[in-house]
Amino acid sequence: MPEKRRMPTMHIIIVGCGKVGITLVEQLSREGHDITVLDINERVVRDVTELYDVMGITGSGVHMQVLREAGLETADIVISVTGSDEINLLCCTIAKKVGKRLVSIARVRNPEYIEELPYLRQQLGIAMIINPDLEAAREIGRIISRPQARSVSAFAKGHAELVRFTIPEGNVLDGKQILTLDRLFSFGYILCAIERDGEVSIPKGTDSLKAGDDITILAASRDVNKIFTAIGMRTGSLRSCMIIGGGKTSYYLARQLLDQRMDVRIIESDPKRCDELDALLPEATIINGNGSDEQVLKEEGIDSVEAFVALTGIDEENILMTLYANRIQGLKTITKINRITFNDVIDDLDLGSVVYPKYICAEEITAYVRARRNSIGSNVETLYHMFDNRVEAIEFHIEKGSPVIGIPLMRLKKKDQLLIACINRNGKILFPRGQDTIEAGDGMIVITKHTGFGDASDILL
Amino acid sequence: MRSIIYILGWILLVLAVLMLLPIATSAIYGETEGIAFMVVALCSAIAGIAVIRKRPENINFYAKEGLACTALGWIMLSLIGAIPLTLSGEIPSYLDAVFETVSGFTTTGASILRNVEQMSRTTNMWRCFTHWIGGMGILVFLLAVLPMVGGSNMQLMKAESPGPSVGKLVPKVRFTAQLLYGLYVALTVLMIVLLIAGRMPLYDAICTACGTAGTGGFGIYNDSCASFSPYLQWVITIFMILFGVNFNVYYLIFLRKFRDALRCEEMHWYLGIILTAGFLIFRNLAGQFATVEQGLRTVFFQVATIITTTGFSTVDFNVWPTFSKIIIILLMFIGACAGSTGGGTKVSRIAIIGKSFYSYIYSFLHPRSVRKVKFEGKEVEVETLRAIFVYYTGVFLIVSISVLLVALDGFDFETSFSAVAATFNNIGPGFGAAGPAANYADFSALSKCVMIFDMLAGRLEVFPVILLLYPRFWQEIGMEIYVRRMRNGRGYLDRRNTRGSR
Repeated sequence: MPEKRRMPTMHIIIVGCGKVGITLVEQLSREGHDITVLDINERVVRDVTELYDVMGITGSGVHMQVLREAGLETADIVISVTGSDEINLLCCTIAKKVGKRLVSIARVRNPEYIEELPYLRQQLGIAMIINPDLEAAREIGRIISRPQARSVSAFAKGHAELVRFTIPEGNVLDGKQILTLDRLFSFGYILCAIERDGEVSIPKGTDSLKAGDDITILAASRDVNKIFTAIGMRTGSLRSCMIIGGGKTSYYLARQLLDQRMDVRIIESDPKRCDELDALLPEATIINGNGSDEQVLKEEGIDSVEAFVALTGIDEENILMTLYANRIQGLKTITKINRITFNDVIDDLDLGSVVYPKYICAEEITAYVRARRNSIGSNVETLYHMFDNRVEAIEFHIEKGSPVIGIPLMRLKKKDQLLIACINRNGKILFPRGQDTIEAGDGMIVITKHTGFGDASDILL
Repeated sequence: MRSIIYILGWILLVLAVLMLLPIATSAIYGETEGIAFMVVALCSAIAGIAVIRKRPENINFYAKEGLACTALGWIMLSLIGAIPLTLSGEIPSYLDAVFETVSGFTTTGASILRNVEQMSRTTNMWRCFTHWIGGMGILVFLLAVLPMVGGSNMQLMKAESPGPSVGKLVPKVRFTAQLLYGLYVALTVLMIVLLIAGRMPLYDAICTACGTAGTGGFGIYNDSCASFSPYLQWVITIFMILFGVNFNVYYLIFLRKFRDALRCEEMHWYLGIILTAGFLIFRNLAGQFATVEQGLRTVFFQVATIITTTGFSTVDFNVWPTFSKIIIILLMFIGACAGSTGGGTKVSRIAIIGKSFYSYIYSFLHPRSVRKVKFEGKEVEVETLRAIFVYYTGVFLIVSISVLLVALDGFDFETSFSAVAATFNNIGPGFGAAGPAANYADFSALSKCVMIFDMLAGRLEVFPVILLLYPRFWQEIGMEIYVRRMRNGRGYLDRRNTRGSR
């Protein structure tokens, strides 16, 4: 691997090495930042420093001495993701007082603070307050609104969407050569990646599709539904949803779905929590029962809902319930996985849509860190990891004087396993052909198996 | 497994580059010994490039790979670094050459040469330069210059750097390694300048500074440093002590955090031990010196040379009274600070076991008392404590078995024991027939092999070398499979490629 281009690196302090903390360390250290992690548990710190090239310090994130030792004076960003909202807020406040020019990011998950957040953010000078439960709920909401897809991500400020779905048995796409897809789709689109038997590839025109392939297509948002119509899949959003588990994510999700006038049923085993939910969500049906009991699910009408969301705190239960729910024809299932890391195995299980709150949360923070870096010299706008980080979709802002400008794409000497997916020219999404060129001011979306790109010119050989 | 071989390939290449220094020396002084170095450097460069041409997909280092790389790397370094000495005919026996090279890289400074002054300048430069490389470590050097993307390379640094817990100065391993070498070079250059200011010839100054910086101790004169002027002896004494301090302190000074630098607990212990030992020996030798200055200079030179495990000498401390000699032996085992270039079992370990011993005794008085061992203002984890005790067990085992084997040569107890202590702790001169005025030439081949092992075990802090003796280890790092497949004539690599493993 050639040495990476020199990109501006930032000194980042990550307080708390829980699930989100570790995911952040993994993503940010891969992007070449100088990272110092803080945790009160020595063992955790040792594990992290053995796995990643970061400095570890044992101690509390609210101790001035410890923060100074972590290099608070030179830090650019402080991210506090401990289990306690109050520690996170306090840590960010202290950090902000010491380093006037640093930015701080705190994770706050208690719904009671939700109303106060804008005020807190302003008063405490915290740049970003992230709520993982709310983010996960939003992601699930997006999936429910496009039930055919396994996952949906927005690009180019929402003008384009990246949809991932599995080709069903007997679908028109089965056996089709990619070149011939143009006859099927009369609008701009691009096929970005294919996952077959656990191997991800960036397709060429001569490859063919097979039933069971997991494909990712990029298209303008308004055309996404046309894809599904063209290949004969049902469109339109769902009308009813069953949520298992009554945690914070469930609350946010239910709130969102109820606002869209959906029928929502929540199954929760703790009677006290049921009372609370009933008070919070009067329009929803709250059921006190055990979601992992087949009888309960049947009785409460799993056969008659259109979406099934497993959101309990136990990953194994979520997976089992989803596997059970998947036996019902036409039921859209979504599973939340908090902790388990056997991503390959989970992929093999065919669970349908899976939501990882830790990735969502870490991704949001990473995106913010990237934006900070852009202001000091990189031109990556957004970046998404697909297929467990094996493929990246990156949006570059093309500056004047970039070496990719003005050359027809067919003559651009690009790296292998890389695809220029689309160009966002003043809010219009273009799907470039071989003779098209890239111009200054464009947003260029690139799909690639390489990692660590920092500039549009990195796509060249 | 691939990644271990890959790193070894880099070590070969770096070794070839390092040999440019003796080659240049021989070109300047018109000596023919440089040819031998040139041949070896060329061969090792070719072999190295052949190995590193193909970079393995993932370079992942877990603890065992780090340990394997370190141990194998050091052994390879010594075996190849010894070839030019034999090839040029200056040290005819290859075993002696290996002893000399291991002694160099491990910064021991024990020599088998009866007459150092007779050696070519090329060879002497190489001997002293091996000290300089071995002092900070070859893998740390590699980490500083190699762009290693991804994976954790901390394991490499951990396995090579001395001390009970190895930390970083800055978040990235690479910059930590660069900083360490930066500080190391700066201090070495400063010392060369000060030596030249004391009218020492440039060549001598470079050799002496390399020997001091690595806390090695190869001299280029038969009487080591005895013929140097008092000024030079004081400079060497002070720099020996400086190179025995934890380099974190210099980093803090570099950052202008003087207060934090002065607060380093290990340094307090270290300086305290030096002053106490110096005072005790000075009292013991009272009346033997012409002036107080000469007495202080002689005593502190020897104390510094032993505690930092350098091994220069200005007097034959073999003739000192027993009380002073016992202090010297104790200093040998204490050694320098963790994170320095010195050897021994490290001041921090001694301080920590001292404290935990005290807290254990205290628990007899108050069985329910909670009293954690603290060091550098932080609580010492049970895991770290255990590692320290296991380390001392390892030291005890290696030293006792080695003494037993060396005793077969029939030297007296003082010689056998001090020879092992001086090689294991990377000092150099011992007592008796291994004293400062004598050398290691008279030991048998078996004893030399044992001491080669001791030097490596001492420098790499026991575990990497011990693991090599453990058959299961070879299996675990995949070496056995590698060898078996090579023997079957079917390349391990080809097979992996056809399977398309990701």
